[in-house]
Amino acid sequence: MDKLTKDNFQKAKNDSVQKKTNWIKVGMSTCGIAAGAREVYDTLTEEVKRRNLNIDILKTGCLGMCYIEPLVEVCIEGVPHVVYGNVDTKAALGIVDKHICGKRVMNDHLVIK
Amino acid sequence: MYRKTIFIKDTDSQGLDRTKEFYNKFLENLRSRNLQNDIQVARAADIGIYNQGIVLRVYGEDTIYVQLKETDIDNIISLTIEKNEIISSLQYKKKDKQLRRVLRNCGVINPDCIEDYLANGGYQGLYKVLTSLKPEEVIKELKISGLRGRGGGGFPTWMKWDFALKTESDQKYIICNGDEGDPGAYMDRSVLEGDPHSVIEGMIIAGYTIGASKGYFYIRAEYPLAIERIQNAIDQAYSKGLIGEKILNSGFNFDLSIRLGAGAFVCGEETALIASIEGKRGTPLPRPPYPSVKGLWSKPTVINNVETLANVAYIFIRGAKEFAKLGTETSKGTKVFALTGKVKNSGLIEVPMGTTLREIVFDVGGGVLDNKNIKAVQTGGPSGGVIPAQYLDTPVDYENLSKLGSIMGSGGMIVMDETDCMVDIAKFYLGFCVEESCGKCAPCRIGGSQMLDILTRISKGQAQNHDLETLSRISFAMQKASLCGLGQTAPNPVVSTLKHFLPEYKEHTENKRCPAGKCLDLLSYKIIDEKCKRCGACVRICPVSAISGNREHGYSIDTQKCTKCGQCISVCKFKAISKE
Repeated sequence: MDKLTKDNFQKAKNDSVQKKTNWIKVGMSTCGIAAGAREVYDTLTEEVKRRNLNIDILKTGCLGMCYIEPLVEVCIEGVPHVVYGNVDTKAALGIVDKHICGKRVMNDHLVIK
Repeated sequence: MYRKTIFIKDTDSQGLDRTKEFYNKFLENLRSRNLQNDIQVARAADIGIYNQGIVLRVYGEDTIYVQLKETDIDNIISLTIEKNEIISSLQYKKKDKQLRRVLRNCGVINPDCIEDYLANGGYQGLYKVLTSLKPEEVIKELKISGLRGRGGGGFPTWMKWDFALKTESDQKYIICNGDEGDPGAYMDRSVLEGDPHSVIEGMIIAGYTIGASKGYFYIRAEYPLAIERIQNAIDQAYSKGLIGEKILNSGFNFDLSIRLGAGAFVCGEETALIASIEGKRGTPLPRPPYPSVKGLWSKPTVINNVETLANVAYIFIRGAKEFAKLGTETSKGTKVFALTGKVKNSGLIEVPMGTTLREIVFDVGGGVLDNKNIKAVQTGGPSGGVIPAQYLDTPVDYENLSKLGSIMGSGGMIVMDETDCMVDIAKFYLGFCVEESCGKCAPCRIGGSQMLDILTRISKGQAQNHDLETLSRISFAMQKASLCGLGQTAPNPVVSTLKHFLPEYKEHTENKRCPAGKCLDLLSYKIIDEKCKRCGACVRICPVSAISGNREHGYSIDTQKCTKCGQCISVCKFKAISKE
């Protein structure tokens, strides 16, 4: 990793911009992990790999809505950008099947703020 | 691709969930117009609005309709969906109370990736400070922002830094206090886990300002993931040259490392925390001298809470004036609360200072569990107090909460309903402090256990009215004479419950009754013969066979055998068992 200096600092910021769409974020702080986020993350990774989809699966911190953990945020081109709550492995498979492949939001897990 | 997406949800928690029927009717109507491939309708698990009947929201638009009936569906589809017309009689304006500043990156960036933090504007505050501000100017900015310590006391941050800056010394230190120990509070853990770099950024800025070249994270060992992520973030910041020597070519050197707390609550108190880092037993010392003058290894030391430091990063990224736009006269910015207890949406929330407790509990928290009545809100953990329901419209800031006999504290907020007994609550918090007392000074060591003894007797119905006076007297002595904050504030839950709920205490002492039905020794279970349908469900569930009788002559509970576990009440469909 290159050291940042006074001169290259602003450039580093612009270099590290994240992909605009086609990503999934899983909330993986202690609260999420306790609710089963790790299994959800593993299921999503496997399923995306199995179907050979070009989707990034990212880990993030706590989204704050502990009552409805584990939380998964999905941003796929052409489908509304939403957060799913109470996601278990079954719902995780549903996200890949319905939301990512079927291009349609999945029922009963949506968390709208 | 769908032209529009509609979300629906039944937000009434009483009765049956009508979401599915409404959804089916909606879908049927769409099909009859052959719109089903054009418009998508989805059932939500949480729609962000509470107790407003069936709610409908359109994705990407502000349109929110509430209290919907099935007869409204036709209108909604033909007007709003087909012609983009708003039906004003159904419209609802959402009160958006949350505002994420400290938590701006939590759940957004990957905490293990410094590039993510940089891409979201991270370390811009540090860049600005190191390249264009002198230490005095940093303090001036901080003064404009009006930031006060988020650990509980609410001491102005700029003053702390100013004392340390003005104290001459060859070595100074910065400590981040991550020894979060209040029951039910986990704001700091989430910030450390979700956005570690913002805290590090705040620490480097603090180090530069007071002239400290060394910083410590003091994190409790019960937070393994927070420790792992902070260590990883420190390593990344080193390799990027944001910690270490000559940071951003400025000539400022700063080193950072982690010290683990072994789980003593008192080590969150700053002098005890310093002793713990020095490798001594974690007991407090009298102040003054304050750590800003004589702290770690007798050198000037600034100790700031995790949330305070995350706010510092925000202030220098976005500007002090921007920060001070929110809040009340004396308390600026936002506050993160861990909202727990008998509330529907427990979790981590961030609201501007000055938001009322009612807005927090009902608009953000979604109301009380099982639609029971709210009795009180506890803030500030074991050092805080309870705020009864009649003060729910108080705007939350440091001064208002202390006027009500509680404190802001680090941000634990526990909602209590009518089944919570205030004597029991006071006993719980005091018990916590008695266990955590280090035992060094007599008022805390002896006073605490004496008070706990009295409270235990009250909850067993063995106390008299004069015991309540004794409670107040010991509280006063502890508040005045204890050495550190732990002992000085330990009686607070007792004092505030006595102040606001004296009649409830008197029910315990005079009538030996617990109105909330919590104090087991004061309860006895009874079967109400008129209501009993003689189904025998209670007999079958009772684990100690305390219920006897038969279908012909009815049943009765043997109070000698009964352990008051409450299982019979939960199985009785006819509410035929009373507990008094």
